Amino acid sequence: MWRKYLALGKAAWALIVEYRAQIVIWMMNSILMVIMLLVWLSISRDGEVNGYNSADFVTYFMIGWVVRNLTAVWASWELDFAIREGRLSPMLLRPIHPIHHEIAVNWVEKLLRLLIVTPIVTVVLIATPGVQLNLNPLNLLAFSISVAGAWLIAFMSDYLIGMLAFWTTQTGAFIQGFYGIRLVLSGVIAPLAMFPPAVQDALRWLPFPYMLNFSVSIAMGRVEGEAMLQGFIAQFVWAACFVIAVWVVWKIAIRNYSAVGA
Amino acid sequence: MRYFRLLALFFKSNLLMELEYRANFVAQATLGVLWAGVTFASVTVFFTQTDTLGGWTYEQALVIVALSVLVEGAIQLLLQPNVDKIIQMVREGTMDFVLTKPVNSQFLATLRYARYSGLADMSAGVAIMLWALSRLGYTPEPLALAQFAVMLAASFIIVYSIWLVMATLSFWFVKIDNLTELFRSLFDTARFPVTTFSGWVRIALTFVLPVAFMTTFPAEAVLGKLSGATMIAAVTLAASLFAFSAWFWRRAVLNYSSASS
Repeated sequence: MWRKYLALGKAAWALIVEYRAQIVIWMMNSILMVIMLLVWLSISRDGEVNGYNSADFVTYFMIGWVVRNLTAVWASWELDFAIREGRLSPMLLRPIHPIHHEIAVNWVEKLLRLLIVTPIVTVVLIATPGVQLNLNPLNLLAFSISVAGAWLIAFMSDYLIGMLAFWTTQTGAFIQGFYGIRLVLSGVIAPLAMFPPAVQDALRWLPFPYMLNFSVSIAMGRVEGEAMLQGFIAQFVWAACFVIAVWVVWKIAIRNYSAVGA
Repeated sequence: MRYFRLLALFFKSNLLMELEYRANFVAQATLGVLWAGVTFASVTVFFTQTDTLGGWTYEQALVIVALSVLVEGAIQLLLQPNVDKIIQMVREGTMDFVLTKPVNSQFLATLRYARYSGLADMSAGVAIMLWALSRLGYTPEPLALAQFAVMLAASFIIVYSIWLVMATLSFWFVKIDNLTELFRSLFDTARFPVTTFSGWVRIALTFVLPVAFMTTFPAEAVLGKLSGATMIAAVTLAASLFAFSAWFWRRAVLNYSSASS
């Protein structure tokens, strides 16, 4: 399996280098987080906001930016395109599931993103006085696992939505709608700690917090002990649900699929 | 007169087009309302922690949110489809068909297409505005309404001119899609009072990319706290930007040699 991924990865790297212009688009996707940070800073000038001071907001949005880049997925667009245009058929003939190709592309692209994002975030965090991160090795391990979980939920939910293209031509609207909901509920526009308590309680049962806010909170040392364990359980359950859903829906879809124009 | 007849024709042909793809219309309209909700939520969340943002109360700030949704809807309705088409036509060399028609080419290129699902966004904007005003228990005076009409028109003209300039750049640069995408990303600032931002960001949002003139100042007008100087500035800015964009377009068209030649 690893050799296959290495081969897929090499092919993907060539593809990514080809699409360098995409970097410009990511940068633009990040503008929203900068705007939100600026607005939060305008409020926290006068003192702490719900347990967050200015340095905490900077930390939240910087680490959040890293996590967001690591969990960015656009496999659904590719899948939608492949299904509508009949390009899926040759992919089905290959000996491995098409999802592995998308995963390889996604991982390689993550490398490129890290190369850009990490230096910026490091500089900003060092330059900001009063940044609080829990850099204890065990906590860093927990952070890494939570990011892996966040990626799995993000990728599988995205792929699931992409598979709607088997039944509808409006997949794009679903993708964008989900993206919008995710912006609000995963913690891109604000730390979820800023939401009213009732909303926070409700969100704990949804997959969204485990796609970003949970990981950032771990890095900042704001989730510990039992709360962290509960978070991991919820994240694991959601990830498992999405993996199973992708697998089941794929089986059903492929049985009824007849390619267009093939 | 001829131009009004043409507009009616565009309207009819675009409507027929939309009717052809009804599922798409419904999906896009629903999406528009959902995104209005995202915009709404992303401002409301601040007011769970504070009473004012840049000196604006929640209800007042909602008027700005409403305007940003409204302008966004207008972009979806008219600017995005036409500018996308201009970029495509320049790239494929079909711009010749526009330029050889016996009508003003800017009129034809920028008003030909429409995506009526943008009306859903615009309706959401109006709904937020009415809700905010009713929560304030405030009915604008006729004078405020008149000022608002002027400021809203200026806002639309400013946005239109900027989009026309971006579209015109496609005569020289092929990858202009990124530029409109950049505009839309920066337009995310439009949902906040410009006074929220400090220092150079506020200066940039007032003078470089005049987002303040698109939402904050029209909101001041409807709330009856607009200064005369701002209004004069808005009208001047709108007029000069429009004149510049029209001049720029003409210049590009004159220098244009078709893609196939």
